[in-house]
Amino acid sequence: MDGLLAGLEATALAEHLRASRWSYAAVNTTHLLGISLLIGAILPLELRLLGLWRSIATEALARVLVPVAATGLALAIGAGMLLFSVRAREYAALGVFQVKLALVTLGVAVAIAVQLARGWQLDRCGRGTAIALFSLACWLGALVCGRSIAFVAE
Amino acid sequence: MRRLPLLIAVLLAPVLAVPPAAAHHGWAWTTGTNLELEGTIKKARLGNPHGLLDVEVDGIVWVFEVGQPWRNERAGLKDADLAEGVVIRVIGEPAKDPTIKRLKVEKLYLGDREHVLYPDRD
Repeated sequence: MDGLLAGLEATALAEHLRASRWSYAAVNTTHLLGISLLIGAILPLELRLLGLWRSIATEALARVLVPVAATGLALAIGAGMLLFSVRAREYAALGVFQVKLALVTLGVAVAIAVQLARGWQLDRCGRGTAIALFSLACWLGALVCGRSIAFVAE
Repeated sequence: MRRLPLLIAVLLAPVLAVPPAAAHHGWAWTTGTNLELEGTIKKARLGNPHGLLDVEVDGIVWVFEVGQPWRNERAGLKDADLAEGVVIRVIGEPAKDPTIKRLKVEKLYLGDREHVLYPDRD
């Protein structure tokens, strides 16, 4: 595993990102854009499922917010892998990073399962509230863990 | 909006959960006064997002925070200048917590060469 991560750090792209000012800033900003779209779309959707804005149909909301969240997730993962490559071994060893990956995996798994089971009619479920709360906890937890990397990493 | 408290709680949770800033960001974690130290570089980790040097000063290993690549370059430094075994003298601000042997470098000296990372700070 360590050899694999060291190999990732030694790729030309990782070397470039480690040394450059604006490429690194651009990747960083793309990661942030992805997170903004993801959390910005997930949050209102989950709050709707928790009972806010009852006059707005969940299906209509989901048709807008689910693709936005998925796009945000794709951007965040793509840019995130580039950021990771810059100091792969250091990040992989961090507890908050490992928890973040676990929370993202859980959040994605829940989202896919719900989408497969109910299509766009996300509120057609007896356990809707519990699922929405769990999903919210995953994404907000991942956000907190992700931001913490900058404060606990060397 | 009887669920307003829920909304507020959800939005505030991440803010409250984030730990207080440790190192790296700005100067809030440092003493505000300069300290001068000299030692030998034991390990250098340069490049984005932060450049770090492990430096042995009188038998104690300190972590010196130097610049990102662009800042080091602007100060006239090359990565090879900050290699293991090099004797380095620095002026910068240490962490407020005296048990944390960490210092953010404002300027450094390699022999009689001066390299200023933060020209606007004294």
